Amino acid sequence: MNKAYKYKIGIPRAMSYYNNYPFYLGFFNYLGIDVVLSDKTTTKIINEGSSYVVSDTCLPIKVYVGHVINLLDKGCEYIFVPSIQSTDYKINNCSKIRGLPEIIRNVVNRDFVMVEPTLDKTENIGLLDFCENIANNFGITDKKEIKKAIKLGFEYYNNFFAMTQSGVSYKKALENIENKKFELETQEVVKPLSVVIMGHGYNLFDERISLNIIKKLEQMDVKVYTSLNVSHKDSIDAIDNLGEIQYWANELELTGTAAYFLNNKKVDGIIALSAFGCGPDSLMVDEISYHCKEQNMPLIHLTIDEHTGEAGFITRLEAFVDMLMRKKRASLSKKSKPINAVEAVKNEEKEEILTSAVK
Amino acid sequence: MKASEKFEKNKMENKIPAKDRVIAWPRMGRIDIPLKALLVSLGAKVVIPPANNKEVLELGVRNSIEGICLPYKLNLANYMMALDKGANTLMMFQAPGSCRLGNYTKMAQKTLKSMGYDFDMVIFDMYKSKMKQTLQAFWHVTHCINPFRYYKGFSLGFNKFFAIDTAERLLFYTRPREINKGDAEKCYEKWLKITDETNSIWQAKRLKKKIIEDFKKIPIDKNKDVPVIYLIGEFFVLLDPYTNQNIEKELGEMGVEVQRQIMFGDWLEHVLKPSIFYRKESHRERSVKYADNYMKRAIGGECIETIGDTVYAAKHGIDGIIHISPFSCMPEIVAQNILPKVSREENIPVMSLVLDEQTGKAGYITRIEAFVDLVKRKRRLKNNV
Repeated sequence: MNKAYKYKIGIPRAMSYYNNYPFYLGFFNYLGIDVVLSDKTTTKIINEGSSYVVSDTCLPIKVYVGHVINLLDKGCEYIFVPSIQSTDYKINNCSKIRGLPEIIRNVVNRDFVMVEPTLDKTENIGLLDFCENIANNFGITDKKEIKKAIKLGFEYYNNFFAMTQSGVSYKKALENIENKKFELETQEVVKPLSVVIMGHGYNLFDERISLNIIKKLEQMDVKVYTSLNVSHKDSIDAIDNLGEIQYWANELELTGTAAYFLNNKKVDGIIALSAFGCGPDSLMVDEISYHCKEQNMPLIHLTIDEHTGEAGFITRLEAFVDMLMRKKRASLSKKSKPINAVEAVKNEEKEEILTSAVK
Repeated sequence: MKASEKFEKNKMENKIPAKDRVIAWPRMGRIDIPLKALLVSLGAKVVIPPANNKEVLELGVRNSIEGICLPYKLNLANYMMALDKGANTLMMFQAPGSCRLGNYTKMAQKTLKSMGYDFDMVIFDMYKSKMKQTLQAFWHVTHCINPFRYYKGFSLGFNKFFAIDTAERLLFYTRPREINKGDAEKCYEKWLKITDETNSIWQAKRLKKKIIEDFKKIPIDKNKDVPVIYLIGEFFVLLDPYTNQNIEKELGEMGVEVQRQIMFGDWLEHVLKPSIFYRKESHRERSVKYADNYMKRAIGGECIETIGDTVYAAKHGIDGIIHISPFSCMPEIVAQNILPKVSREENIPVMSLVLDEQTGKAGYITRIEAFVDLVKRKRRLKNNV
């Protein structure tokens, strides 16, 4: 491999970054290509992105365009814009994700090289073709090297998921991967309430877009589960058990995760987080809410866009958590035997402790 | 593979015996005429729900979720009205992987069943081996084994499709040029009625010729300067006159010739005919060829057709483009993002119109009028130079 000149590739911190970054990192590391990330999402990046696309476009795409501009401002020559068409036979992605390179090509009128590999398993364009396409942009054609790079990518990817599934937070797991560390969480945190958030990684783990929802819930003493806590296989099985058919490529993150926790009754409530105008989400959330009604599971659907006010958002979250708490308390007191006055006072004290824990 | 097996099984429900079936399908423009002819000649009973209008839309909006696109809301209401009128078998075609369309049937099935309706859903899966799928679906709903009836049905159906397409094309041509206002419209309505009543293959085959002859009789002003506008965008919205607020008529009365790029007959011919017999360059192929500078891959829906048609129009001296799509349609939003660049580089005026159940007619017409003025001015300037 010719390592005299070191290529730099810019990866926008949006969209598939949140799901596949460990893989990309391992892959590019092996090939000796430096990875440059855009800055974390800020209001400025969102506004910048919004000014390039039509107003009907959903928030994640606006953010993506903003990140691409950010990378170009940083002086990146190569920018990685994958088009993930389908992840399995007839299991396709949303049109906007499929058309990411088309959007970027036509709205950003600047000089740069776009690395635009396609992954389309319906049309038999597999991961190897995807990776070869990337490598060819940098003049690497040796298939053996590419295969080894894919292997390293998967190593990073699997380590990342092993860590998150043991309970390591997303941010920490990503830091560990970057520093080539591996650690597992051994203690399970128990909290009075637990919820699962169903949402795309690019909405949920982006602290600006999700308005830091995970941290906010943890401050309310609620344990939060996300798609990272569920393995790929479990979520596929969960969809099957629910009697549904996977239709969207990123359905595992939403329906799969929610279905998994709906089936094993590990959580007290479900929070659906989706961007305004998201096509697939409108269907997936509807599907889950149908099953939630059947199984009497509380669900709140939070919609976000670039104008979402933080105050209103928090109020809705707090109201939901309060409701869950009341429900849990009622169900616990129902289970216990009829009580006399002295015990009732004691129970009230317990409740006070519980509520103070929430506050 | 478990999921896909389940999918295959769900595609054709079989609870109701074939002889008791009463078939219904969603309304979209005039597809009811040929489909009715086809199914009736296969010996089936059919129910046709009322054409899309305000009440239909309201019914659909009331019973579907907020975020879904407009065509679904209308389809659901069509199903409900048909079921109320006595239908028990619902048909729908879908193409998985294109956009939300692939989820329509699944959702409609669930919604209708939770409302307490009892029915069979039969799905045409337009992905691979389309002719086989279609024949299978028709056999499934009718259990007709007589090959002559299939020949009669398909030949009637196809000829009627082509007849309607021809009539529409001629209507678009004649309307801006006619001397007595309303002649073309009357002629079109008359031929729709005749097409609907035709019941023999021999007559159906001659329909097209007769329609052309009849339209030629309408007095037109041949020297009138008429700008040509391409109408492109999402399939359903283009074909359904209620949903697009009869944009073709509005444009025609403003003195503009409309050329709609998606014609149901053409589309059907391309989809159903085996590729060995299909010699022409299909709409898809043409679009892929022309859209090459802007799009390198198809991304579902009619996005690539939209872009390809725009480039094609610019290269063939068309005066303007009107792009219509339902609100929150995913492929068309991508197209909307690409269109400004195409418009700038190919030097062709493009206007995007987004339609939903809230679209007000007055504002809509104002925008179209302004655009037509722009197109006319541009054409005058071009002709003077």
